[in-house]
Amino acid sequence: MPVDLGELIALYHRPSARTHLVGSPVPEILDALGEEAMDTQQLLDALQRRYALDDADPQALAARLAELESVGLIRRA
Amino acid sequence: MRYRTLLKIGPVGFRIGSDWRAPIAALDDLYRDYPRPDSDIADFTVRLFAARWWRRFLRPSVMIGGDYTIPDAAPLPLSMGLLAAEMGMNLQMALGHRRYLLVHASAVERDGRALLMTGMSGAGKSTLAALLTARGWRLMGDEFALIDPETGLVHAFPRLISLKNRAIDEVHSALPGGRVGPMLADTPKGDLRHLVPDARAIEAMMRPATPALLLFPAFGHALAERPVGRAETFVRLTQASTNFVLLGESGFTALSHLVNSVPVRAIDYPDTPGAIALVDRLWETLA
Amino acid sequence: MDRGRRALMLGAVGASAVISIRPALAQTAASVSNCEIPVPDPGRAGNYIALDGTVVPRNTPFAVPPPGRPFTGEEVKQAMRGGWLPGTNFYSNRAYMQYIRRLQRGTSGFTCFASMQMPNR
Repeated sequence: MPVDLGELIALYHRPSARTHLVGSPVPEILDALGEEAMDTQQLLDALQRRYALDDADPQALAARLAELESVGLIRRA
Repeated sequence: MRYRTLLKIGPVGFRIGSDWRAPIAALDDLYRDYPRPDSDIADFTVRLFAARWWRRFLRPSVMIGGDYTIPDAAPLPLSMGLLAAEMGMNLQMALGHRRYLLVHASAVERDGRALLMTGMSGAGKSTLAALLTARGWRLMGDEFALIDPETGLVHAFPRLISLKNRAIDEVHSALPGGRVGPMLADTPKGDLRHLVPDARAIEAMMRPATPALLLFPAFGHALAERPVGRAETFVRLTQASTNFVLLGESGFTALSHLVNSVPVRAIDYPDTPGAIALVDRLWETLA
Repeated sequence: MDRGRRALMLGAVGASAVISIRPALAQTAASVSNCEIPVPDPGRAGNYIALDGTVVPRNTPFAVPPPGRPFTGEEVKQAMRGGWLPGTNFYSNRAYMQYIRRLQRGTSGFTCFASMQMPNR
């Protein structure tokens, strides 16, 4: 489903029929979330297990999540 | 409507109705070598009508209507009725077509492979396409490239080619035998003249091609070329597509496939001979 | 400790990592039509235009009378680049341009104005 375009990844979001182009760390966040609901700290931990995070800042992660929520790619459980 | 005609351009049929005879006569004349549509079931209807009954006679002005219309459209004088008809067909395609992904681009074909040129109005897509037909390329269209979401092939939609201002003489020099429509001076886009696609383009109208090179031309700069990233190409093509959003997932798939399978360059050119030479070289090396 | 994990940056709080594709409808209007913008919209014809672009009754101080005809998209585009709308002076040009800039979806002329601002136009 996601299409790799080099610098960015193109996503078609079926429920809203909208297309978004997303850059790192969005694909990694979406992948780590998978189907589960997590809170910000759990997600941060999951990302740290998978990746070497230089800037493991919960506020930065919260900002990314807020943006994803505003375009409808994730939902607050 | 008093006067009417039917046109089939590639896979799309149009019924055009008019309150005046002249635009219909112009269409029938310029499209006379195109095959007649099989039936009068048209995909789209275009209506050229007078806003008030007396506008048919007094300073006659043509309102563009049809299955799809947009607000705020201004009428054109009757002398530009042919332009109104062409704009009307563009409008129906832009707002209503959903069978193919539409990209605002010119397309020419060679050996079953297509060169697409897209970009801003005035960048030269129509002019370059017309000039390439003088060098052995088959014209597929100068306004819309039709991309099949299922096959990825580009389908021809060869309407009259719109040449503006300086391009009119330039193309006439390269194609002295080309049939042209009336000279329309002082249209909203300047002086405009339509060039009829040649016999080869008409004969091959129903033959699709594989997209093989995508160019973003820009006129008025020193000769240059640069590669364009796939993400940038994707975004620019969504801006050049009138129905990407309407098509939903199949539009997304068609565009992704196009972007990932075709080499892309942005080219700057100061004059058309320079552009043509650059196009030839890029086609040789990339397509 | 690092088992060869790939580096990842979460990015700054103010940065954006999503580009959403919007419909190119306004671009459609521009490429297929010469459109016009009436000042003010026909529903409020006969009113005057204040310098801030609001539509006001006839005798409002410092308001300018409406132009005799709608402006075309091309005329507005040229005025947006630093020219003047035809037939205007400094004050009437300013009043009409402010009116146009304030156009909302649903008001006559909005689609035309929006299409003038699309990059491919």
